[in-house]
Amino acid sequence: MDFYFGLAQTVGIHTLLGLSAYIVLLTGQVSLAQAAFFAIGAYSAGMLTVLAGWHVVPALGVGSLLGAVTACAVGFPALRVKGLMLVVATLAFGEGVRLFFFNFDYQVAKGGIRVGPLGGEGFRQIRFFPEHGWTTAEVMLFIWVFVIGVMALLWWFDRSRYGAVLRSVGEDEVAAQSVGINLTAVKVSAMTVGGAIAGVGGGLYAHYTTHIEHANFNVLLATFAIAYPIVGGLRTVFGTLAAVIFVQAFLIEGLRFLGDWRNLLFGALIILAMNLRPHGLFGRHSA
Amino acid sequence: MLELKAVSRYFGGVRALDGLDLTVNEGEIVGLIGPNGSGKSTTVNLIAGLFPLTAGEIVFRKQALRDVPVHKRLQLGIARTFQNIRLFGQLSVWQNLWVAQNSPEDRSRRGFFSRWLGGQTRGRKEIAQLLEFSALGHKQDELAANLSFGEQRRLELARALAARPKLLLLDEPAAGMNAEEIGQLRQRIVDLRAEGITIVLIEHVMELVMGVADRIAVLNFGQKIAEGTPAQVQSDPAVKKAYLGGS
Amino acid sequence: MLDFLQTLSDGVLFGAIYALIGIGFTLVFGVMHKINMAYAAASVGGAYAGLLVLKAVAAAPAWMVFFGAFLAGGMLGWLVYVTCFHFIPLSSPLAPLMSTVGMLLLIDEVIVHLTAGMPQSYPAMFDDVMLRLGEFTLRGDLLLVFGISVLAMIGLLALLYRSRLGLATRAVAQQPIAAQLCGIRVTRVNALTFVITGLLGGLAGALIGASVGALSPLLTTPLTVKGLIVTVIGGLGSIPGAIVAGLLVGGFENLFQQFRGVTERDMYVMLLLFAFLVFRPGGLFPAKS
Repeated sequence: MDFYFGLAQTVGIHTLLGLSAYIVLLTGQVSLAQAAFFAIGAYSAGMLTVLAGWHVVPALGVGSLLGAVTACAVGFPALRVKGLMLVVATLAFGEGVRLFFFNFDYQVAKGGIRVGPLGGEGFRQIRFFPEHGWTTAEVMLFIWVFVIGVMALLWWFDRSRYGAVLRSVGEDEVAAQSVGINLTAVKVSAMTVGGAIAGVGGGLYAHYTTHIEHANFNVLLATFAIAYPIVGGLRTVFGTLAAVIFVQAFLIEGLRFLGDWRNLLFGALIILAMNLRPHGLFGRHSA
Repeated sequence: MLELKAVSRYFGGVRALDGLDLTVNEGEIVGLIGPNGSGKSTTVNLIAGLFPLTAGEIVFRKQALRDVPVHKRLQLGIARTFQNIRLFGQLSVWQNLWVAQNSPEDRSRRGFFSRWLGGQTRGRKEIAQLLEFSALGHKQDELAANLSFGEQRRLELARALAARPKLLLLDEPAAGMNAEEIGQLRQRIVDLRAEGITIVLIEHVMELVMGVADRIAVLNFGQKIAEGTPAQVQSDPAVKKAYLGGS
Repeated sequence: MLDFLQTLSDGVLFGAIYALIGIGFTLVFGVMHKINMAYAAASVGGAYAGLLVLKAVAAAPAWMVFFGAFLAGGMLGWLVYVTCFHFIPLSSPLAPLMSTVGMLLLIDEVIVHLTAGMPQSYPAMFDDVMLRLGEFTLRGDLLLVFGISVLAMIGLLALLYRSRLGLATRAVAQQPIAAQLCGIRVTRVNALTFVITGLLGGLAGALIGASVGALSPLLTTPLTVKGLIVTVIGGLGSIPGAIVAGLLVGGFENLFQQFRGVTERDMYVMLLLFAFLVFRPGGLFPAKS
């Protein structure tokens, strides 16, 4: 049973990662920076619970806030960079953040041992959950409270005027401007919300794996982040969830017996999915 | 209401517009005609703010538009349609109108949360009126990409009206329409003028522009070669030579 | 000062490889308006495949390995085209991009599995040759790398500007629909673009192996990132831009490494990119709109 709980935890966290990219993709911005905001959430939430003794919930709040603030800061220069150049710029930013954490040391002595991030070795002993006696099932439920909350929020956005405005910007920026939509406000706000979501996801990730390091937040993770909403389609948030379940559960776990060939199959699966359903599993609206 | 003074726009060596002077008074319908490449669309794009001016001034209701960004011009009261229809294809007809409700009245009417996070029940009345005006009520949940050509043109116009404009720039609205549709368009334009909207109409379809405009300006190679009532313009020899044909 | 010049010149010579990679990205972008994220991975893959020559011909000379990599790169280029661009409608904005990302992951994993993740040593030429100009040294192998790269670039430019295929390619880049109407087989031009950039890429991969002395699958990500940075700095779609930017990035990278160490080096290259994005987003040779 614990195996399935663990799987559900992974699906939940990856869904948060995917949703952080989903809202940004709606505005037409392809961002490979979501893994970077995820990393910022992970390290900051981890440091707060481990080094400052905070409870996990406010730590997640700060992780989310820092993710949002960084994303907002990235959102403005991102406006100047069009289309595919944005992919490159966000890719470079993501790598830059990863390299920052590769070089980041901040250790404090606690009870005789030194804890905290240590550059290339990473950040070990993020043990809030075990230390407070949370069971695997409880951690899973905790994660899913956030997943469901974020999905509900984004689903609400999709039905509101904000969601329609986001999509109109993604469709045609010139037309959107011409009907009075402030592109800057829309694109930066979407990026900020995406950063907040990624920050929460990262914080949860740090606590459930208990050990994070720079290599976890690499280009591959950034790719997963945008792969989920693209493969799932931008029609609905459920597409992203379906894509995560599809990839994580079916592919990685179900094909576990293929061992190390998982990543190869991930690549092949993406290629196949894009050839067969270029607009995603759930696709666009009919047309 | 709108004044263009010595407006020029160069693209590298090409002088798309060269020193255009034009005045549009409140409540008028001004037609802008001329051969392809004469600068008509450039004029609309400059008034709407999509390109910066190379030289000259555009003043709208006593305000200089030089540094005003595109979306703010809409809020000042300038709306436009596009020559090649630019609808939000993956949004429904209703949503296309909904996202365009950005006039100052709409913005101040409701609170922030209501306006942005409210569902599709908000703004229902105004949108219903626009749908009726454009005869698109029965298609309100249809995706814009699935509409017929004529329906898309009507939606494009309706969307521009959703912003409650004082000045409406129509860029070749009759292109591709048959005679019946042109007649309906003509009636709509007249109805809009009756509601107090000032209109600048770029067109090639002479029967529409001559029949509905109060004044017409004729462009050729980026410059104005004639201006006057339809009758005056039609009999102007320079215009005939450049555009209308005939000796 | 001498140190500075030495570091700079070594970097610039190596930068010719970045220029080749940048050209590959930028050419595909220019012709198809899409980024082929798998390009650097295919280049490294081609370089690995070149090593197969050593299995076939015992103690084969280095140039044969390079040539094998060159050819293998071309084949991989064609493979990327077929899996990512031939069947997917180009109008769908994100599908080809994601597909190339899938290909990147795939190629990476295949390399890791076939080599058990162990770095493979790569033959070099003239690695014991040192040209001395006073106190200034030019490494023979780097000079060769630079020389081959220059020849490849000249070959490419000759192809683009002096051959019918090149003319067709430039036509498709500017106006794909009109080109089709003129009878140009756009799909064939696209496929050939991938093959040609693949050839260049395989060669670039081999040259990296030659100058570093070994190939490792860990090369793929940094090479992709640097190649894209070079493309953006040079201006998307501009071959001269990619050339200049490649040399620039190579030079700066080596300087950063000399003065701030290897771990911080890449962060500074990112900063260089951001400086360009802020001050000159079109790149060195922006495309005219």
